[in-house]
Amino acid sequence: MITQNNFWQHNRTVLMFALVALTMPLWFPLIGGYSGLDTKIMIFCIFVVGFDILLGFTGYLSFGHAAFFGISAYVTGIMLKNFSDNIIPAILVAVLAATVVAVIIGLLTLKRTGIYFSILTLAFAEMFDSMAMSMLQKWTGGENGLTGMPTPMLFDLKMQGDTVFYFVTLMAIFLFYMAKRIERSPVGLMMKAIKCNQTRLEFTGINARKYKLLAFVISAIYAAIAGALMVVYEPFVGHEFLGWHQSGEIVIMSVIGGVGTLVGPMLGAGFMLYFENVLSVNLGEQWLLVLGAIFMAVVVFMPGGFMEGIARLKKRYFTTVDGE
Amino acid sequence: MDMTLNAFTLSLLTGLQLGSIYVLIALGLTLIFGTLGVVNFAHGALYLIAIYLAVSINNALGFGFALILVPPILFIIGVLLERGLIQRFYDRPHTDQILVTFGLAIVIQELLKWVFGANNIPFSIPSWGNGIIMMHDYLPFLEGFVVYPKWRMILVVVAIVTVSAVFALLHLTRFGLVIRAGMRDAEMLQFLGVNINRRFMIVFGLGAMIAGVAGVFGGPVTQVSPEVGMQLLVPSFLIVVIGGMGSLGGAVLASILIGMAQSFTAPYIYINTIIIYLITVIILLVRPRGLLGAKGVFE
Amino acid sequence: MAILDIHQVSLSFGGLKALQNVNLKIEKGTTHALIGPNGAGKSTLLNVLTGMLKPDDGSVMFDGKPLLNVNSYDINQLGIAKVFQTPAIFPEMTVLQNVTIPVFAARDGSFNLNMFEGRSKQRPLIEFAEQQICELGLEKHMYSLAGSLSRGDKRRLEMAICLANKPRLLLLDEPTAGMARHETEKTIELLKSMQDGITKVIVEHDMNVVFSLAEKISVLAQGEIIAEGSPDEIKGHPKVIEAYLGEAQV
Repeated sequence: MITQNNFWQHNRTVLMFALVALTMPLWFPLIGGYSGLDTKIMIFCIFVVGFDILLGFTGYLSFGHAAFFGISAYVTGIMLKNFSDNIIPAILVAVLAATVVAVIIGLLTLKRTGIYFSILTLAFAEMFDSMAMSMLQKWTGGENGLTGMPTPMLFDLKMQGDTVFYFVTLMAIFLFYMAKRIERSPVGLMMKAIKCNQTRLEFTGINARKYKLLAFVISAIYAAIAGALMVVYEPFVGHEFLGWHQSGEIVIMSVIGGVGTLVGPMLGAGFMLYFENVLSVNLGEQWLLVLGAIFMAVVVFMPGGFMEGIARLKKRYFTTVDGE
Repeated sequence: MDMTLNAFTLSLLTGLQLGSIYVLIALGLTLIFGTLGVVNFAHGALYLIAIYLAVSINNALGFGFALILVPPILFIIGVLLERGLIQRFYDRPHTDQILVTFGLAIVIQELLKWVFGANNIPFSIPSWGNGIIMMHDYLPFLEGFVVYPKWRMILVVVAIVTVSAVFALLHLTRFGLVIRAGMRDAEMLQFLGVNINRRFMIVFGLGAMIAGVAGVFGGPVTQVSPEVGMQLLVPSFLIVVIGGMGSLGGAVLASILIGMAQSFTAPYIYINTIIIYLITVIILLVRPRGLLGAKGVFE
Repeated sequence: MAILDIHQVSLSFGGLKALQNVNLKIEKGTTHALIGPNGAGKSTLLNVLTGMLKPDDGSVMFDGKPLLNVNSYDINQLGIAKVFQTPAIFPEMTVLQNVTIPVFAARDGSFNLNMFEGRSKQRPLIEFAEQQICELGLEKHMYSLAGSLSRGDKRRLEMAICLANKPRLLLLDEPTAGMARHETEKTIELLKSMQDGITKVIVEHDMNVVFSLAEKISVLAQGEIIAEGSPDEIKGHPKVIEAYLGEAQV
């Protein structure tokens, strides 16, 4: 029963995203955006979509995902400096390293309920941050960070400027599509059930713990890919890639955009980065204060974020008989 | 580890001092969690408000005024926060509570950064608290000349007094009885007609007030800058987890444990930075409910 | 043939003996009621059967296979489903999604890495779930959020979830608790109409329900089985009356 028609329909959101993303260099400058910022937004779209698979589907709030972002970034940088300027082996090794760490942390932290989990993931983020500054200084550059990487190469292609943007954007489109596939699959269904009623899920024959770990690891992989791409985009890794601040930013992006919707958090990422780098020119140093206030307002009054706002507007102005 | 008695005593004292700051924050955290069931990610920010308030009042009117004014002001702030924000979240999932208090922490931190700037504000110790104590005068087993900063000893005393006061409140007063019963079963209390809302408000204010005391005495030690709040929150959370969420005795025990661990590993810088995390992981694996936590709370 | 063989099961909480040498055999295909005053240990026993509690002593065999030290999800995969006192469903998901979950659980087991399985492969399972929903009279709520259903409909939904992965034993923990008369009647009808040979163990306080449905009754008091027999045998049983003395009956 699957026809070509269905493919386009089913993947409407992905295609719209692809269209908007690939044309970004054209329209982004019109609203004050600059080249390079669009790449950064795409990188964080990857980070945040993966994060939504954990928070949005299973409901587990991690304050530690920056650890995977940072670990991957550091390993990528180290690989580029010491092994080869080709980004492919660098990215692969980096993501693998972060994934291994993710499995360990996941096994330790997912045993407990959501509260413990949030606190413990926060602790792990801080732990890695400390470690990067102290005992791992030799490799991480300590407080000053990791610099001195060669121009990253995709085999014979120099990864600079627009090339990086399109590489990152293609990856983002692909990874968004994958996330959508996961959402539509039985795995996605089980993950969402965890958020609703974990006990009932277990009594219906499902090993919820394994699905939780899967969501955790998948989201960590997305974070790791984002971290690796970050280094391709900009040859610098700082210890702040690892700590609660970076993790917190992802949480803010996800909530403002709309947890659980996959596309919402990407809107949140775009909004936050745009706010931080473009709108803040007028607000100065206080952009985070304003954003924090917006975040709180969202949590209190519109917990579904942008996407809830859009749904409400739709309802008000485009009421249909049976809803969507 | 080759340590002289002198060095051991000093490490012990430092451990107590570190533990003192931790216990003052952890106590409020675990009290709020045990009674209201709220995980207050903004607790470090409450401490932040306390130190900025304390240093401002201290520099304008002197330490005495800071001591008298800051804790009550923090109590009021705590009450206002509970009534204005926190109470809307009692029926919402824990994740939402964490999110809103996290947002609050960021807003408070950024606000203070805006008003006071990002740099460290010097918090000078009052003259009567300045100086050193000749430890060898009090502890005959020490050899030779051994001194310890007076203010840090004062901090330890303050912590002991505060902890005792909280325990006295909880175990010797009727109010405390209601709170302790509520910590075990809030629903039951409501059925018995107890006005749980007012109690919640007071407990949150109390938690904030303890952070206020921490700020007044801890300010000179931890420094006054915007990052301090979150810097203290993470270890405090871990201490609450290690001690057992909702257990006050556990918070005290864990604070001492971690204070000692950090003090005695001070010469070994690399271990020192991660010792608290290692201890947390071990406790997690071996005794998930924490040292004195109630069984089944989070297993 | 006993499908469930509970043998010398004992469980203590601190000093309290919740279950003492409980011996109980449930025959295949029967509807067996478990009654007793409050605190008798009925819920405790159910929790042992579903893997939530571990007894200090004794064994439980389900169709010849040991049931203790098995995870809750594996117990369900073996063929035991539980209906909770308060209907346990997935409130923020649609009714269809609710019933699809056990269908997938039956096909895929307790964990499966089929992250990229598309809609076309899922079609037959989704259609089966739709059937189950219709059989329980919930078609018009197919795409409604489960949380918005009335309590009675939630109970039906929970039944649908339990039945969708074809259990052989259904445990019902006070299925009519808190229900009004007409809802209770409806639930009795629903349970009576299940002609599928599923063995049912019902823990109940409502004697009307018990006597309408049960073929055999076991009475639990203070952690021990004090009487067992057909409804008629239990009705006038002196020990049962004694155990219930002072207990308010619905």
